[in-house]
Amino acid sequence: MSDLRELYQTTILDHNKHPRNFGELPDANKKAHGDNPLCGDKITIFVDVDRDLVKAVRFHGSGCAISKASASMMTEQIEGKSLVEANELFLNFQEMVTSDPIQPVDTSGLGKLSVFAGVREFPMRIKCATLCWHTFKAAVNNQTETVKTEE
Amino acid sequence: MIKSVSFKGTSYAEIPFKFEAGTPDIAGIIGLGKAIEFLTTIGINEVEKHESELLRYGTRLLEEIDGVHIVGVAPKKMGILSFMIEGIHPHDIGTILDQEGVAIRAGHHCAQPLMERLGVAATARASLGIYNTTNELDQLGHAIEKTIDLMS
Repeated sequence: MSDLRELYQTTILDHNKHPRNFGELPDANKKAHGDNPLCGDKITIFVDVDRDLVKAVRFHGSGCAISKASASMMTEQIEGKSLVEANELFLNFQEMVTSDPIQPVDTSGLGKLSVFAGVREFPMRIKCATLCWHTFKAAVNNQTETVKTEE
Repeated sequence: MIKSVSFKGTSYAEIPFKFEAGTPDIAGIIGLGKAIEFLTTIGINEVEKHESELLRYGTRLLEEIDGVHIVGVAPKKMGILSFMIEGIHPHDIGTILDQEGVAIRAGHHCAQPLMERLGVAATARASLGIYNTTNELDQLGHAIEKTIDLMS
């Protein structure tokens, strides 16, 4: 049960129930779709990029608590950041959730996103947490093909 | 399968052996034999009886938990219990039940058109077999209650 609390932290449950920045963004100049065909999670990320700044970001779609909370918290964290900063956050996040669970966890620079550290104990759920990030990256890179967690 | 191979040429065995390349699935065949033996020892009618008893027990159990909905209630349904818990995604149910020692399947079950027809993204599904017991169904019930408690 303690592992489960570690995974389903209060913050995650809150973002699952009340996702922030949920919906479409009519002014978006970047957009991408992401799919996890194994579990059926679907996400669309809308981004309004002004030069190298993430002015606004929204998401919609359906998925589990981890994927929804991850997308919600990602949008909160990257709004107002530069594309370089957002990418750095993505790399740190990915590093954290895919790191070896027996090693001490490195949450440096992740701030609130460190609540997802528990995901690394559940290999099946890592893709739930990272789908939104891959989709965001695809959007800002003007990738039109749907992002898939499986090939 | 071949008859003979040399640098001059290759000849093949007679049909059907010609199409049997490599070592056949011997372990699989022996396994199937053992499975048939296991089922015939118990008797297929006993298997069916046990499964339908479990199904009846499990259905009643899940129906009594607030927020749980059973998907699929055909009268001659086999030993499967597909269900939803209000507000909780089946993959979260799967992870939590797993931690509670209950293995189920969660997802679209390779039946996406059916999920679309039912208007759901995924379902959770417990499969009942001759090797399951009513105690295990009670364990499933407790684990579902824990899931609801944890996710609320």
